[in-house]
Amino acid sequence: MNSIVSRLDASAAVRELLGWLLGEGRTDAVLTPRRLPEDGSCDLALLTAPEGLDRAEPLLPVMTTNAGQALSHLSLSGRRLTAVLKPCELRAFTERVKREQGSFERLLTVSFVCGGVFPLGRVLSDGPDTLAAAALEAARRGETPAGVRETCAACEHFVPTNADVLVSSGEDGCRIHLCTPRAEEALEGFGGERVDTAPDPAGIERVLAARSAARAELYRALPVEGGLDGLIDLFGRCVGCHGCSRVCPICYCLLCDFESAGLEGDLPRFRAALDERGGLRLPSGTILFHLGRMTHMSFSCVGCGMCSDACPAGIPVAAVFGRTGGRTAALFDYVPGRDAEEPVPVTVFREEELDDIG
Amino acid sequence: MTGDPGSGGAAFLLPVGEGPDGAILGLLAGALESGAVDALLLPVPLPAGDSFAWILTRDPAVAAGGRPLPPVMPVQGARALRDLTRKGESDVRILALMRPCEIRAARELAKLGQVRTDGLLLASWDCPGALCSKDHVADPDGAGRRFAGMIAAGSPDAGGGVRSSCPGCVDFSMTDADVHFGLLGEQDGALPVMAGSPAGRTLLGSLGLTPAAGTARWKLRAEMERERRETSRRAADEAAGSKLRGAEGLLSFFSACIGCRICRAVCPICHCRLCHFDSETPRPDPDAFFDGAELRGGASLPANRLLFHVGRMTHMSLSCVSCGQCSDACPAGIPVADAFGFVGRAAREAFGYEAGRGDGIPHPLRTWRRIEPDGIGGLVRDAEPGACAHE
Repeated sequence: MNSIVSRLDASAAVRELLGWLLGEGRTDAVLTPRRLPEDGSCDLALLTAPEGLDRAEPLLPVMTTNAGQALSHLSLSGRRLTAVLKPCELRAFTERVKREQGSFERLLTVSFVCGGVFPLGRVLSDGPDTLAAAALEAARRGETPAGVRETCAACEHFVPTNADVLVSSGEDGCRIHLCTPRAEEALEGFGGERVDTAPDPAGIERVLAARSAARAELYRALPVEGGLDGLIDLFGRCVGCHGCSRVCPICYCLLCDFESAGLEGDLPRFRAALDERGGLRLPSGTILFHLGRMTHMSFSCVGCGMCSDACPAGIPVAAVFGRTGGRTAALFDYVPGRDAEEPVPVTVFREEELDDIG
Repeated sequence: MTGDPGSGGAAFLLPVGEGPDGAILGLLAGALESGAVDALLLPVPLPAGDSFAWILTRDPAVAAGGRPLPPVMPVQGARALRDLTRKGESDVRILALMRPCEIRAARELAKLGQVRTDGLLLASWDCPGALCSKDHVADPDGAGRRFAGMIAAGSPDAGGGVRSSCPGCVDFSMTDADVHFGLLGEQDGALPVMAGSPAGRTLLGSLGLTPAAGTARWKLRAEMERERRETSRRAADEAAGSKLRGAEGLLSFFSACIGCRICRAVCPICHCRLCHFDSETPRPDPDAFFDGAELRGGASLPANRLLFHVGRMTHMSLSCVSCGQCSDACPAGIPVADAFGFVGRAAREAFGYEAGRGDGIPHPLRTWRRIEPDGIGGLVRDAEPGACAHE
């Protein structure tokens, strides 16, 4: 793979690359995480001039919003956009494009071998700079930083499969791999030594082994057996805020079925529940909501972990959805977001399928 | 009206026995068994013991498992009442036991046509505050012990990890309930139970309780506690006010917002089925968004996060009861309730309005006056010289 050698750390190298693209007029805007040092926080920013890049932190190990979700809308404009995406953000965006909720047409994607992101709570307590330094240090050693989201520590898809530009870190800086003709064209004339190389397979294998073990342990620890009682153990704390659905990059429906009038309780239903079961929980339908959402989207779940991070009740939503979604997707040999050409299983009609489910 | 047994004008003594939780459960069970009410709405611990759910029940066995005084408020009770009654008045007579801020939110929702209180009896208790929900999930036993200390002292100051809106809450006692449990008045193994309405008086009168000779001790302790909290409230408002000055202050305060709108979802007052900020109107088309970014040297995503907060503030903060649900639920740890509480109080002052009273005074936004309060223009001018060029 045609690759550019950089002595800068990966975040600085990508910042330099974004500045060059904007300066040369190769892109109209860039989408990147940004530090907001005066407030001790960070955000996802759309920047249109190189001057705005000084606070950009492209590889910031924080996900304030899944950029795939934000990109969905932006990618429908007529502008050329360069987006820095974590692998799961790129996969989420790919899943949305399959549902005609976004377009790759004028987009250059920059992704990287991802160490994971820290929970949002750590942004306020530690500050983005401390987290960035910890992630950089771990990347140099080829390790997963301690304390990242539990779904990140258990993520097996940390190497992007369909990015135009792929960045990998090493002890002495980083490599910028140009994976597609679009990347070659966009970066024609960008300086730096060129070599023919790919991300270190041995290093990736090592991280993958650790992540797979963490994944098995994460799923093993979930109380997922035991019918309704098991579901109450899992989702009992749910307050019915639907925040998991709002921050989910896959849940794109403007009106969710579970927010439609048909599912609102009414007095006859309440009275029936009182008569039949002796009691009724309010708000009602919280478990139905999770089961329904799982049915609607979990085979496309990219395991970004936004849902768990946002949950006010601290429910490990992402682990549950990842486990169920992963098993469903495996039935179809499907990896969500791996390839934009791969159709979503529920959109494919086959006369005969899944005999074992029946 | 606060602190006064009110129009019910009656107080009784409830023997405490093992503790206030059991005593209150006993009274609720009596109300159910005697047929004075058809069903109870009360917090019940989950099987895992790490949180609580609102359960509406007519089964005495289910009610017996309730926890009348829960350390946390995972779901604001007014939201439960809203789900229950927004499609019409209940023909089941329900006795609901809630924190004062939950009842105040329900009163506010009733004015907004979102809760029917007709078939409801609302009972409250002297609330020492609520603990942060996630702390309780992480360590239910430790949180339970801290809360027991707060109940005993009648004050948020006795516990750690209390919601930031609770120490400055001056409406922690009897405000507008049909029945109120005066935990602060416990004396000689009994606590006073007050009726705040004729319906409450009828209920309490039917339960065979001993009338109380007086409620002086409860009133005194509630007044002392209210003074303490008033001091905290002033300090909190001062702090919030200094942070929230101008557009820069607002931007900074909400800078960690991720745009999830969970604050709205858990807010008892926000009841719109389609929020303006979820409609297509405020969403710029993608090209306009790029234009905006060019104009300002960059744009932050998701779009319109500050507009959402300011808009929500305009829409609901007059009714804000400072329950703290928004802060408790915010995944970014923004003290949302501090801002909404501060702004809401300032706006209510201008209208001479109190949020959460069943006083028949209509909501200011639903009242037309030929001449609106002068104070509002003054508020704007004082807040931001130069920002009111339209005046």
